[in-house]
Formats: sequence, C-alpha cells, structure tokens
Amino acid sequence: MVGKSERKRKIAVEEVIIISAVLIAGLALQFFSGPFDKRFLAYPVNLVFLGLLALVFFMKKGAALSRMASGTLSVILLAAVTIAALWMGLVPGNMVKVSWPFVLLYLMLLVNLTAITALRLKSFSAKQIPFILNHVGLLVLLFSAGPGSADKSRFFMTVMEGSTEWRGEPSGTGKDAQVVELPLAIELVNFSMEEYPPKLGVVDKTTGEAMPLGKPHFFEGTLNAESQIARWEFRVDSIVDRPRYAPAAYVLATEIETGTVNEGWVTCGNYFQHFKILDLTENLCVAMTFPEPKSYTSNVKVYTPDGQVKAAEIEVNSPMTVGNWKIYQFSYDTQKGKDSEYSVFELVYDPWVIPLYIGFIMMLFGAITLFWKGGKK
Amino acid sequence: MSWNEFIYFAIGSLLFWISGTILIYTSKGARLGNILILSGIVLFGSFIVGLWIGKGHPPLRTMGETRLWYSFFISIVGFVTYLHWKYKWIMGYSVVVAGVFVFVNLLKPEIHTTNLMPALQSVWFVPHVTVYILSYALLGAATIASFIAIKELKKGEYGLMPLIDNLVYIGLGFLMMGMLMGALWAKEAWGDFWSWDPKEVWAFITAGAYLVYIHARILKFRLNLLLWLLPLAFVLLMITWIGVNYLPAAQGSIHVY
Repeated sequence: MVGKSERKRKIAVEEVIIISAVLIAGLALQFFSGPFDKRFLAYPVNLVFLGLLALVFFMKKGAALSRMASGTLSVILLAAVTIAALWMGLVPGNMVKVSWPFVLLYLMLLVNLTAITALRLKSFSAKQIPFILNHVGLLVLLFSAGPGSADKSRFFMTVMEGSTEWRGEPSGTGKDAQVVELPLAIELVNFSMEEYPPKLGVVDKTTGEAMPLGKPHFFEGTLNAESQIARWEFRVDSIVDRPRYAPAAYVLATEIETGTVNEGWVTCGNYFQHFKILDLTENLCVAMTFPEPKSYTSNVKVYTPDGQVKAAEIEVNSPMTVGNWKIYQFSYDTQKGKDSEYSVFELVYDPWVIPLYIGFIMMLFGAITLFWKGGKK
Repeated sequence: MSWNEFIYFAIGSLLFWISGTILIYTSKGARLGNILILSGIVLFGSFIVGLWIGKGHPPLRTMGETRLWYSFFISIVGFVTYLHWKYKWIMGYSVVVAGVFVFVNLLKPEIHTTNLMPALQSVWFVPHVTVYILSYALLGAATIASFIAIKELKKGEYGLMPLIDNLVYIGLGFLMMGMLMGALWAKEAWGDFWSWDPKEVWAFITAGAYLVYIHARILKFRLNLLLWLLPLAFVLLMITWIGVNYLPAAQGSIHVY
C-alpha cells in the first residue's frame, strides 16, 4: 500500500512539472509573439485538431492512455484553470482569455477529457451513462466553444424601415470597420415598440434628487393613478399619448395639511417636444421619467442567395434562425424611441451551433444525474 | 401584495421556524416541531407568491428579491436534509441563515423599478435564478457541515462525509443547471453562450472550485486539507453572488442589479 501511494505521489509531481513546463512555454510565447490570435484556429485548423483528438479514441488501453487520462491530472488542470479565472476576475483589464498559457491549459484539459472518455468508452456499461453525459457533453462543448468558435463571425446591420439591406459591419473592429456584403438580405417591413407607462415623482430641482430622500418613490403615470409623496397627495386626471409627442399627464397635487391644490401638465419630453414640470414649492416639483421600453419588434423578410424568402418577427430574446445564421434585434434609434425609422440587427454566423446545443443538452442531463448520485445514502 | 407587508410574513415565518426548531430538540415535540417548520415555509412561500402577483412578474431581479428566495430555499433545504439525515443542527443553522437574510431585507429594503427590461423577459429568467439560489443554499449547508467535519476529523470521525458529499453533488448539479440555462438564455438574448462577463467569470471560478472538490474526493485526497476547500469555495460563491458588483474588474457587467 505504501509503495502504491508513493508511486501516486511521484506521478502527481511529474504531472505538476509537465503542466508547469507547458505554462512556462506559454508565457515565453506570450512574451515573444503577443497574445494568442484565435483566427489561427479557424477552419481547417480546428478540424485537423479534431482529427488528432479523435486519434486518442483509437489508442490502445495502456500506460500512455492512462497517463493522459489521469485523475490527478484532471484535478491539477481544473485547479489551474480556476486560478487563471481568478486572475481574470480580480485584475482589471487583463487579457487572460487570449493569453497563451490559458489557451494551452484549455488544450491540455481537452486532451485529458478526451483520454478519460476514450478510456471509459472502452469498458462501457449502463452505469457509465452519467459519467459520459457530463464528460462527453463538456468535451463537445469545450471543443465547439473553443477551437470551433474561431469560425464564428458577427456583424451589425442597420436597416431603414421599408428598405432592404445586405451589407454588414463586422463587430469588434471598431472605427475602421469595413462594410462587407453578406449572404443574407433583410427587408425591414415595420419596426414597432411598446413602452411601460412613464413614472411620476417629486424632484428637488437644485439637486436633482427624488423624494423622499434616500428612499425615492415614483408612481405610474396612468389614468387615475393616486399616490402620496412627502406632504402631497397626487392624482393623475388625464393622460395624453399621441404619435411623435412625449406622453403627458395632467396632475393634481393636494397639500395634505392645507388642502391647497396645484395642477398642471407634466411631460418628460422627447426629441420633438420640450419637457414640462409642475412646481410645488420653490425647489420641489413633479417630474416625469422617460418611459422605459417594454418590447421592440422588427417585422422582417429575409432573402437568401438561393431565392428563399422567410418572414419573421425579431425581438430581444427571440432571434431568427436562417441556416447557420442567427439574426438578433440589437438596437434602434434611441433618440426617437418608438418613432425610430430604423432597426439595428446583429447577425451571428456559427457553423458549430448544433454541436454546442448537443453538448448543452448532454450536460443538462448530466447535471440531473448528480441529484440522483447525491441522493444516495 | 408588496414589500410593505413583508414584515408580517417574515416575523410570522421566523416565529414558526424558531419554535419548530426548538421543539425538534425535545423528544415529545418533534412532530409538532415539523408541522411548525413546514407552516413557516408555507407562510414564507405565500409571501413570494403574493409579491409575484402584486408585481406582475417574478420577484427575481434585485438583490433583495434573491435574498428572499435564499431564505425560502435554505429553510426547505435544511428541513429536507434534517428529515432525511436526522441532523437537527442543520435545521437550526438554516433558520439562523434564513433569519439573517430576512433581517437584511427588513433593514435594507431595495426598492427598484418594477419594469422588466426586454432582455430579462425570457422563459429562462425564473429557472436560471431560482436554480442558482437553490444551489447556493445547498452549498451553504455543505459549508457549515464542513466546519463540523473539520472538528470531528481531529477525533478521527468521518461520519459527516457522506452528507457533505451529497450536498455538494446536489448543489453542484443545480449550479451547473443554472450556468447551462444562463448560457442558453445568453445565446437567445445576445448571440453568445458565454462572454466572460464578470459574473460569468466568478460563476466559473465557483464551479471550478467545487469540481476540484468532487474530483479530489473520488481520488481520495487527504481530508484534513481537502475539507478546507469547501469554506474557500463558499467564499468564492459569495463573491459571485454579492461581491462581484463591488470588484474593480467587474465594472460594466451585464449582471449588475
């Protein structure tokens, strides 16, 4: 027994040395060639890499495969990745995720994970299913989200209402972005927006702070809304909401002690109209906040080069899928709000999206198997 | 219903929980104790339901609202664990923690706009947050158990290890589900499953620490060192949940609320 644990310790030490050597090599690469450029991994490099990883599955069960699949190696790598992430989380403006040591850690984790799944699959039984779900799921996920993501590209596209656009601006390229023609054209049939009712509150004009101080209270500017702030009671007598104009509320403010009534129109204003407040005292007034967007929707038709036309409604949290493309509602003319005459879309091309979803589903089921494992006495 | 009524439900639930917990320590009152604890849970849950109806959307957005769920879940986790494993202290601990979070909410109510911005309007919203808070509750219980286990270890006792491992497994299961659902949601909302947002980085760190724990357990690492990983992992978890908003590296996170 002593001999066995001694051997285990020796192997662990060797593993730490190997990982450290790889990380030092990574630091050297970082120093001499700068941060890792992900584009290097783009097709076909990632497929070649995938092929190399697949070779692990054909390795014979033996010392080499066992060493690659070592459990202590997994623990050391997991700890190292966690420490790298700690660096990422603590040091402002760090570049850990594109640094060579991090990329090499990721790579070692992929090899370790591949080896252990290969080893387990060689002696497969139903008992292994939870293990397979968690580890194969993670492997598929890490590969698609790592080397696979080098094939991903994103573009922004601004489309005017009533017109069709097929040129996009690659995202993340900053000011010198080159507009490129995309294999998709979007026709914006209509852009529409719903807003939450604006809110009313009592504001100190000299400081801009809302009352009561430290615990500001706002109430919804809807018809017949009532509220009490500081020493006034408020009631919304009527509401006007016309196209182009900002919403406006006719507010009655009654000072509780004296019964004095102040009344008048209050509006937050917009690009077309000036704001308006209702004075209560020299410093205090009733003011309206800008209505917050509830939802915004683009009604579109999408054309592809093979002559297909697809109509859809695109919203936040409800993108449109066309082949390997996903089209997201990104923005609009925020100055004009619901009168916006254009809509901004983000287009994401990702050929690895299906393996990614497979990985996610496997891991979700894998997580459920942990309950069953943890439920045993 | 709104936060104004919280105090009645909170005090009522705490009274049920405290008296129930005292009773389970007596041999005769155990049954009544269980009923009281359960009543406390039901009362507390009914406030959440009422708040949900009153707001018109699930109360899961602000820190105060997540604390509400934490108190709720920790009381359930403590109760179920106590029923299953017969450890009374876990119920006592859960009541204390639930009480702390109840008092934080009473003393520092965070009143926020009730409007839900479009990115938060998703079917993933409720499961993503509740599953995370539930996992925090389980891992919190595992942490307390680990302190007791560290003490017992000096006497050569290992009796708590199965409980700790089970809590960590189930907690990690929920943690992983929360993370995976968050990623699926992120893909729908802004086109990326994962973007190393500060909260994501810390969620990753937390998951990494617990993954190290369960793998090291399988490999039978020495417990006198390994058990300290659980309090450490829980500190990381608390940074993920509460601390992230205050970190300099985390300014501009999409998860700030």
